[in-house]
Amino acid sequence: MKYKNLILPIILAIALIGTAVWGYNQYAVKNEFETALNNSYQRLFYDLKNHVENVQVSLSKVLLADSRDQNVLLLSQVMQQASMAEEKLSQMPVSHFELAKTEKFLNQVAEYCFSVSENCLEGKPPNQEQREALVNLEQYTQHLTKELSHLHNKIKDGSLSIGAITREQQQQLQEAEGDMLNTRLVQLEEKMTDYPELIYDGPFSDQVMNIKPKGLGDRKVSADEARDIAVRFLKQLGRQEAITPSMMEEGQHMDKQAIIPSYTFVFESNENEQPPIYIGVSKTGGNVVWLENVRFINNPKLSIEDAQKKAGEFLSKVGYKNMEPNYNVKYDGIGVFNFAYTQDDITIYTDLIKVKVALDNGEILGIDAAQYLKAHHQRDLPEPEISADEAQARVKTNFDIDSVRLAVIPRTGVEEILCYEFKGKYNGGDFIVYVDALTGREEKILKIIQDENGTLTF
Amino acid sequence: MKRIVLLTIVCMIIVFSAVGYYYWDNSQNETEFFDQDNNSTGDGLNESEGVETYVLQNNAQAAQALQPKILYWGSTGQDVKNVQWKLLQWGYYNSAVDGIYGTRTFNAVKRFQRQNGLLVDGVVGPQTAAALGLFFGDAGAGRGTGGGAGTLSRNDDIYLMARAIHGEARGEPYIGKVAVAAVVLNRVEHPSFPNTIASVIYQPGAFTAVADGQINLQPDSESLRAARDAMNGWDPTYGCRYYWNPATATSRWIWSRSVVIKIGKHWFGN
Repeated sequence: MKYKNLILPIILAIALIGTAVWGYNQYAVKNEFETALNNSYQRLFYDLKNHVENVQVSLSKVLLADSRDQNVLLLSQVMQQASMAEEKLSQMPVSHFELAKTEKFLNQVAEYCFSVSENCLEGKPPNQEQREALVNLEQYTQHLTKELSHLHNKIKDGSLSIGAITREQQQQLQEAEGDMLNTRLVQLEEKMTDYPELIYDGPFSDQVMNIKPKGLGDRKVSADEARDIAVRFLKQLGRQEAITPSMMEEGQHMDKQAIIPSYTFVFESNENEQPPIYIGVSKTGGNVVWLENVRFINNPKLSIEDAQKKAGEFLSKVGYKNMEPNYNVKYDGIGVFNFAYTQDDITIYTDLIKVKVALDNGEILGIDAAQYLKAHHQRDLPEPEISADEAQARVKTNFDIDSVRLAVIPRTGVEEILCYEFKGKYNGGDFIVYVDALTGREEKILKIIQDENGTLTF
Repeated sequence: MKRIVLLTIVCMIIVFSAVGYYYWDNSQNETEFFDQDNNSTGDGLNESEGVETYVLQNNAQAAQALQPKILYWGSTGQDVKNVQWKLLQWGYYNSAVDGIYGTRTFNAVKRFQRQNGLLVDGVVGPQTAAALGLFFGDAGAGRGTGGGAGTLSRNDDIYLMARAIHGEARGEPYIGKVAVAAVVLNRVEHPSFPNTIASVIYQPGAFTAVADGQINLQPDSESLRAARDAMNGWDPTYGCRYYWNPATATSRWIWSRSVVIKIGKHWFGN
């Protein structure tokens, strides 16, 4: 009986020991994870540094190389190493806005070198301007290498830890030393801002990013006019809503920052259970940029062919003439149809409109004309300089061709080229091969995947 | 009485040491796991061991792939998810894509089989799977380089996007979900960001839903459709690359962004 008042303390003591063991194990596990994570970040950093060094080395070699083959080889090395560096950089545990400019630099280096190497392939060695740009890029890469080595030394001697991933840890670090990876990289960022704008044609180049839409027209449209346009458009869709649309709140930079500055309206009422309809009307020209009817379809019964016909009829009704159906996909009881503009029977693949059709009653559920409005303009199409047969001679001989026609396709960035389009089969797969109708260069090869949902191109 | 007390104490000691050992053991296993990982990349001391494990695993996978897989009531896993997703896409199924083959999946499979002239048994065997456009276990095996639709699709990207949307914008109106997906795609196309959908979504610090694991929730059909709409080109943000909720945004930096449009609770800008 004399042990009776010892029971509770003993149980508690055991519980405490148990908790301690458990806690220690948790701590050990946590440490292991942290080490593993840190190791992989270390590796990432080593790789990043190596890639950037390789970019620098290859760039300096390009400046010396004098043959076409060497140039192309070295430039594609730069391209590969720069993309890999970018990829590694984007995985670093650092907030994006502190890396954005360095990432952009690496992406643009890769793309610029690609565009210069394409020139080389066409037999045009880098000109004075391009050489100067390359010298410049080399200097910036040199700087990047230096900063990375500096950082790397700090990480190696342990005064900087990359593994601080939780927000709490980062906060603590920020308060404690102000010398963490983030801050160092910010300083790097500041130096990366002022590298000169690279003039080239590629999707990442500044000129291409800032291009103004060509197909809008010039008339400025007021908000009230735009509202009328939206209401009229909805009537053309066959809807007779009495609802007045409300305009969605726009930010102060809409006119400067949006690709197509627009008024956005929503047709929504609380009374009936109608799903909302959204519609965007461009401030210049008053074009419908996009429309989305958020209705979910339960019993799809319309065939894809019928739906495509409806989509085509709708486009000509709202004033888009000469649109040719291209490919389609089907999902959630909706068919999405891609239409391309045709000029003199030549398909212009840059001027695209997508139309969504409900597969239950054939209602038009959506339209996306942004691509069309960005690219569409009256073109002076050149006469092909080589014949279809001559072009065909440039295509692999055992490519089993089904059809040939002329088409305009976008090259990298904004450039458009007139091509012969060969559709056919090769090795059991469907492909489209484009051959430049002026130079006879094989421009592009697309792989077509047809499945029960529609057509995909890769 | 004395004995009972002693017995209790002994029992508790046993229980606690068992618990302790369990955790200890687990953490030991964890260490081994990392060791193996290092070995397979080729710089460990006992390299041969690591390689062996690797080969064994591969063989097991290969053996699995040879047998035709059959899904039935009670099956679970990724393959069931794929089936549910396909059925959802084609309007045969309208419940959660949860990877559990239950009544609803069963009925949906039967409906699908009836509509497509297959044997109506509610079991997904090779024929039904093929009709669904699914190939279990043998993706790519034995196909020529040129042909075969079963190996290439954008479904993975769409599903990942849907998960990101679901994690980031669950309570938002439909159009707000399309907008979030459009932001991901606008980032892919911008030089300041990584160049694939997965690397944009998983970029450290880019999305809170990724950091706190909400991205791993099961997406609903609305998120899936929003992901598809965005992939097909719909962009309610007119090209924006950032969005934030003014009520919860903590970063001072975000306020220096230019603002383009407000959709739901989010502001979109560049």
